[in-house]
Amino acid sequence: MVSRLKEPVFILGVGCTRFGNLLETPEIKGLTLQELAARAAAEAFADAAIEPNEIDAVIVGNVTMQTSNMPATYSQIAKWVGAQLKAGVHIDGACSTTNIGVTLGAMGIASGVYRKVLIVGLESTLSQPKKLSPYERVSIPTEEMWLWTDACVNQAYSVPQGYDIFPTYNGFIAQAYCRKYGVSIEDFDKGMFELCRTRRLHGSMNTKAILQQTLEDEAAGYGFSDPFEFWVSAYNPFLAWPSRLRSVVSAADGASAVILSSAEGIDPNGPMPVEVKGWGVTVSDLPWYGDDPTYMEYDRISFDKAYAMSGIQPADIDYLHVHDCSHISSICTAELSGYLPEGRGLSLARDGSLRFDGSRPMSTHGGRHAFGHAWAASAGADTYEAVKQIRGLCGARQIPKAPHTAVVHTHGYAMVSTVMVYEGR
Amino acid sequence: MNESIIRTYYENLAAGLLVGKKCRACNCITFPPTALCEKCGKPDLDDVTLSGEGEVLFISHSMAPPPNPRFNDLAPYAYGHVRLAEGVFVQGIIADVSVEPVEMAALYERCPLPVRARILTVEDLSILAFDLV
Repeated sequence: MVSRLKEPVFILGVGCTRFGNLLETPEIKGLTLQELAARAAAEAFADAAIEPNEIDAVIVGNVTMQTSNMPATYSQIAKWVGAQLKAGVHIDGACSTTNIGVTLGAMGIASGVYRKVLIVGLESTLSQPKKLSPYERVSIPTEEMWLWTDACVNQAYSVPQGYDIFPTYNGFIAQAYCRKYGVSIEDFDKGMFELCRTRRLHGSMNTKAILQQTLEDEAAGYGFSDPFEFWVSAYNPFLAWPSRLRSVVSAADGASAVILSSAEGIDPNGPMPVEVKGWGVTVSDLPWYGDDPTYMEYDRISFDKAYAMSGIQPADIDYLHVHDCSHISSICTAELSGYLPEGRGLSLARDGSLRFDGSRPMSTHGGRHAFGHAWAASAGADTYEAVKQIRGLCGARQIPKAPHTAVVHTHGYAMVSTVMVYEGR
Repeated sequence: MNESIIRTYYENLAAGLLVGKKCRACNCITFPPTALCEKCGKPDLDDVTLSGEGEVLFISHSMAPPPNPRFNDLAPYAYGHVRLAEGVFVQGIIADVSVEPVEMAALYERCPLPVRARILTVEDLSILAFDLV
């Protein structure tokens, strides 16, 4: 199969709200999902330095209809983002949604049908409309959120027979990693601690992250002078042995937006365009792995497709984000990508190599744990961070030598494996 | 009424049978069964009854309270990644196993362990689980 864009496609602008809780987080408290989406889109338009009426199509993503109550999301959101009377559609690629939108928009541009496309992702995972109120919301219990989210997973057989994301996506993978590479459970725990410390450090330097407190400060708040003692305490229980609470996703509310353009739509005096060089998308239902839970074949295929389409090799990658709802799964994916050597991910986390200022910077926005995860909006937030890093605009968490090539991988539950390759100029 | 593959799977479990589909074209076993071969997409499939014997490679545990209210009375429960004798991978509840960390650690050291299918009835639905043997 030939997979090349016939014309180059560029990201002109990106937008992203703070990820948090619509009921609590000051920057987004009291907003509706329509307003959240509009904020992300407005930032993207300003970033791209274009007018909303220049858009030819809008692609709007949302996953959990129970919390949005807007199954026809596109037609309702278009009015809020200045895209009335444009082409468009509502899409759902679960946690890969916004980047799936980038692939669809890019194909629309490369085919010559569109010149500029707006992609918006919006999600609430923490609250739902209060009765049928247009603006009041009420919180939802964690298990309710997972029940609705697990609707994305095999409903014929897995969910009715006891499927649970935490053993499947964390516990089994952690045990398999330890056995495969001869890592003791104690060393695994220390590696996960250091990885969380790095993610939380990144979150502490990002005003859009849901968790902006370092792990050390959180530990001190609970009375621990040694943050590792806090890590192994009852405050950080096993969610699925040997994986702990702070090695997994922090559910959030949020929205993100990306504006794509053909080359002819670029203002030479405008912001640096970031080229969408290529991608790989592969889907797989359960089981996600066989004998070796550290190896997901569909990710192998997605990375290979993306590298072939963009003409890069793993050695070309300057910045990597991989889906890290599960920190141990993210280490496996980073090793599979070729960015980290096999079996070395935890030791690299322990020596600080995965920090923004390390030799293998990853997930500098804080990842799913510290930045937070608002299902349909998150892939766009990952793209947002990659674009800002390429442009050198990440402030305190800026990678010292701004990356030229960034790769963003997401797992859309469950599973839409998506690998995007972006390049600066 | 048309025969539902999904309904039939659960009714077979209720009768103590693990019935999947085997593709005439590529010999792939799809278990639990789908309408077309999960590997090649061909429609010519025969029923195949699995032994229910296998090995659990890894055991961890679920969260509690569970997302699916069907399991309110069971969670947290041990959950395993199982390779059936026929080479098919499934995941399911490992019955009668403590989820205390010390027990999880001990099982990690002992795995892989032989398992045998055990059909549990959970709120009127027969589901595939496993016993350590």
